[in-house]
Amino acid sequence: MSSSQAVYDLQPEAILAPPARKRWLQRRGVLPALSWAFPVLLLVVWEIAARSGWLSPHILPAPSKVAITGWSLTISGRLISDLAVSLARAASGFALGGSVGFLLGLIVGFSKVAGALIDRPVQMIRAVPFLAMLPLVIVWFGVGESQKVFMVSLSVAFPIYINTTLGIRQIDPKLLELGRVQNLGKFEMVRRIILPGALPSILTGIRYALASAWLALIVAETVGSNAGIGFLAIDAREFLRTDVIVLTILIYAGIGVAADSLARALESVLLSWHPNYASEGNK
Amino acid sequence: MIAVNAIGLSRSYGERAVLNRVNLRIESGEFVALLGESGCGKTTLLRALAGLDGIQTGRIDLPGRTAVVFQEHRLLPWQRLWQNVALGLKGSNVRELAEAALTEVGLGSRLDDWPRTLSGGQAQRVALARALVQEPKLLLLDEPFAALDALTRVKMHNLVKVLVAKHRPGVLLVTHDVTEAVALADRILVMRNGTIASDYAVSADTDGKALHQSLLAELGVANSID
Repeated sequence: MSSSQAVYDLQPEAILAPPARKRWLQRRGVLPALSWAFPVLLLVVWEIAARSGWLSPHILPAPSKVAITGWSLTISGRLISDLAVSLARAASGFALGGSVGFLLGLIVGFSKVAGALIDRPVQMIRAVPFLAMLPLVIVWFGVGESQKVFMVSLSVAFPIYINTTLGIRQIDPKLLELGRVQNLGKFEMVRRIILPGALPSILTGIRYALASAWLALIVAETVGSNAGIGFLAIDAREFLRTDVIVLTILIYAGIGVAADSLARALESVLLSWHPNYASEGNK
Repeated sequence: MIAVNAIGLSRSYGERAVLNRVNLRIESGEFVALLGESGCGKTTLLRALAGLDGIQTGRIDLPGRTAVVFQEHRLLPWQRLWQNVALGLKGSNVRELAEAALTEVGLGSRLDDWPRTLSGGQAQRVALARALVQEPKLLLLDEPFAALDALTRVKMHNLVKVLVAKHRPGVLLVTHDVTEAVALADRILVMRNGTIASDYAVSADTDGKALHQSLLAELGVANSID
């Protein structure tokens, strides 16, 4: 095709003679601005398509409509209360599954016997995608709060478990030896050497766990809820309120991003000693 | 005062005896260098005295604390320098103790720095401070200068000499550097096949060059150039 041919031809020229013509590209902020310009353009096209009637509001409502819906749901208090319900489920599921995963990880990390006993069954259960457990979990717990909290716990426990055991096993034996010659007690050994040494790996586990916790919550909430973001979406589906559905999708995305930045912030605070996470001026 | 008294230490891996009824006695303030080829058992002896490797027979009397400086600095990367030095100390004034120890090795201004900001020689100085702050009766040095460049090594030799004279622990330095042994030690032991083959006293009027020659000869390094 002629257009792709043209792009191809451009490349050697761009490499050989960039100075005069591409200088504007090197100015500060030009590339970030470009990288934002395209999503904004997409939004504008979407808006125009929706307003002109070319895109049916049942398929995809205009971004402005979604924003207005979001605002009115916020004012009525509905969005806040549903968000609070969802966050509470996520938090309690994370706390429960996280502690179970972390404790099992500690036990297996410290004791070879416990490792032999526990690790294989845990790895076998882990081979089951946790979402496939949903029908079974519903049979066990019904469709109440415990089912949702359990699903989140299940999705959180494994990444935390795996990364905790891994972190403990990867500690440099030379540092453990040092702890012995410095006469550290068992508790001090754990506090000063083993836990901090395992921390980068544990934090990686927390990041994975946050991501899968949201996945679990979304799926769990769309079954038999009477509150929460998932219920908001299912309720909206009944009334073909596509604007509300799009809004819930955006909220899930936003929360996912927020959770990931939380994990990153945690890493940069707790791992400021680590060359890979060191920020400028934090020598 | 005795810093360590070890009698009849033996250890073997399978058929091969790594330590064969070794006796070693070091007085407080005495600086002993242990020379030998790789695999002669010198590191095994040091690790046995440090309590890191077991022995099969024999007895080790250690009247006081033991501290070790390893070939690698082994600083905890997640602890600031003063916390690294204070590792294993108890009490309310550990930071002051750590500060004093770091000041002794010339790093008193860097208490709150991370280990990754140090050069190899500086890191080894912190490791030395971490050992000395324990006020050990016996200081075990396991080739602590081997990974340093020549200039830094000489500076470290001088620092160790000064600090050992001040704190007066018994010192066992494991090394394969004859020059280092002659420069630092009051007594030089040569180890061969799991036993201590010879024992040289070094004093101010020892002929360093002659000693150097005979040690090289004993270690099987023929000196054909002179």
